[in-house]
Amino acid sequence: MAKILVVEDEKPISDLITMNLKLVGHQFFKAFSGAEMGPILDREKIDLILLDVMLPDLNGFEVMKRYRHLNVPVIFITAKDSLVDRITGFELGADDYIIKPFEILELLARINVVLRRNAREHDGFIAGDVDVHLAARKIYKSGQPVELTAREFELLEVLIQNRNIALSREKLLELAWGYEFEGDTRTVDVHISQLRKKLGWEEQIKTIYKLGYRLEAEG
Amino acid sequence: MRFWQKTLLVMLFLFILTLDISVIMIMNKSWKLNMEREMQRASSEQALIANNIYENLNSVKSRGISINDNVLFDVAHSYADYYRQQGITLQLWDQGHLVYSDDSAAQDITGIRNEKTEEQTVREAVISNELPSPYNHLLLTYRRDIGELYAKKAELNRYFVYINFIASPILVILLFVLIRQLTKPLRQLSNTTKNIAEGNYGERVTLKNNDEFGEVAQNFNRMAEAVQLHVTELSAMAEEKQRIVDNLAHELRTPLTSMQGFAQYLNSANIGEEERMTASGYIWSETLRLKNLVFKLLDLSILSHQSVERTRVSVSELFESVRQTEQKNLELAGIGLVLHSEIDSVWGDQDLLGSFLVNCIENAIHASSEGSEIRLSAYEQNSAVILEVRDFGRGMSPKHVKQVFEPFYRVDNARSREHGGAGLGLSLCRQIAEAHQAELSLESEEHIGTSVKMILQLHNNALLTL
Repeated sequence: MAKILVVEDEKPISDLITMNLKLVGHQFFKAFSGAEMGPILDREKIDLILLDVMLPDLNGFEVMKRYRHLNVPVIFITAKDSLVDRITGFELGADDYIIKPFEILELLARINVVLRRNAREHDGFIAGDVDVHLAARKIYKSGQPVELTAREFELLEVLIQNRNIALSREKLLELAWGYEFEGDTRTVDVHISQLRKKLGWEEQIKTIYKLGYRLEAEG
Repeated sequence: MRFWQKTLLVMLFLFILTLDISVIMIMNKSWKLNMEREMQRASSEQALIANNIYENLNSVKSRGISINDNVLFDVAHSYADYYRQQGITLQLWDQGHLVYSDDSAAQDITGIRNEKTEEQTVREAVISNELPSPYNHLLLTYRRDIGELYAKKAELNRYFVYINFIASPILVILLFVLIRQLTKPLRQLSNTTKNIAEGNYGERVTLKNNDEFGEVAQNFNRMAEAVQLHVTELSAMAEEKQRIVDNLAHELRTPLTSMQGFAQYLNSANIGEEERMTASGYIWSETLRLKNLVFKLLDLSILSHQSVERTRVSVSELFESVRQTEQKNLELAGIGLVLHSEIDSVWGDQDLLGSFLVNCIENAIHASSEGSEIRLSAYEQNSAVILEVRDFGRGMSPKHVKQVFEPFYRVDNARSREHGGAGLGLSLCRQIAEAHQAELSLESEEHIGTSVKMILQLHNNALLTL
């Protein structure tokens, strides 16, 4: 979906992020230091940078200053939970700020928000004979438009953006319905079965035992 | 009101007051003396005239002429005519009735006549005395005009006021310049204190005076020095603390993030066998890393809260146990360990001293390249026992040397983490040295090598000989 540069000197964290990015279909590039960023930024048209603040050679903020002119959205990843740092980050033009330890789902959600805000989302998603245009909110099955309710579409969007990752019913409620919604988790089951029926995704939307649902798709 | 304004006003007031009082007193005295002299002169002249009249009357009498009022009038008149030119008027009384008078209006017998008529002010010195016997029934009154004296006095008074008007402004200007000059150091001090209060702790007073101000300036500078020292110390300490906290957060959060993330990944992601192996491998290695960190922190914490129990430690045993511990690492890195001991034993905690040496050797291994050697030695120098670990590896720049004992400080981030270090090794070494009341010294030069010495003080050794 998007080209994301992950700048993180800790190999485990770098791998963790990139493995998850791969799951949901993003293309990724790894840099382990500020110095390694330059060639990648020159070569590739990067949509988003995930930037660790504590890098071995350069401080993440300095990196930010150096590449600000490129106008690539940046999400800071840091272990420092201080207000000063957060303000510095935002003042330098960071789009978001995430503190370790973070949850992968949260990181993915923030990535999606930043990508959408900067209109860098490649919003087409094709699985089998279903073609989804997220921005236009249009779905075609075998070329025929499919009508979804607003809530069903929200749910579908969440599933697509977190594809290949199992989401609990509670998480789905939170992401698709919003925090304030106080409904039964069975609402999710009802909507999932509606989606399966309308899109013919009996196989794609998997029920994971004891956990929830997962949309499985290649790429 | 400013100090200089107050001083100026007070000084001006006092000065003019003193000056004026003295001048007025002098003028008064001089006036009194003048008047006395005038009266004396009047009195002697009156006596002279009276004598003349007496002799004149005597000669008239000897010619057989009886003395009546007409004769008296003629005699008096002739004298009066003569003296009138000198501003002197005469009156002659015979037993209370006026025989002759220049000025019939004047009635005083003696003293100062001070009369104001419509046209003019009359001021006269008046002296009256009887003529010598046998004419003592005659009284001669002598009057002299002293208006000129009064005019002089009035002139002097005018002059005095005039001088006052001229002197005061000049005095004000002089005082202003003088006081401003004298209070200059105060203003300088005030400016400097203001600057320091605004946070420019490097500011100093530049006063070279040898007076009280100079003293104040010197003491003030000493105070500013102390304050600056404290402030820099405090901010350095605060900075170090912040760095340690940041680093600790980083060291804790990084493995936690990985563990949490990979566990979630295993649990919910749609993945193959290869990814599963990678994820679980990371969970495993990060758990070890966290465990290592926690144990090191625990060691540090225990060390800072517990006193060590010192026993006699055989140096050769100590070195041998260290060699055994590090044998595998040394072989893997292809580095030789040379042991050299000039003393038999030291006084200390065997485990802690061992831990110190192991930490130093591990650092040395990471800094050295294959084929080089590490020297572990114990010797006596300047009546202190020294345990030294020396390598011939990369060394460090002076900037690193300064911070290297700080917890979580890493000279080479990426490399050190690959070795699984938490960045606490030298902090632990410092704690161990402190627990032994020993000094720790680290010398390093880039591309030449590093030497870490623990300097155990004399009493440590002296106890052994007891």
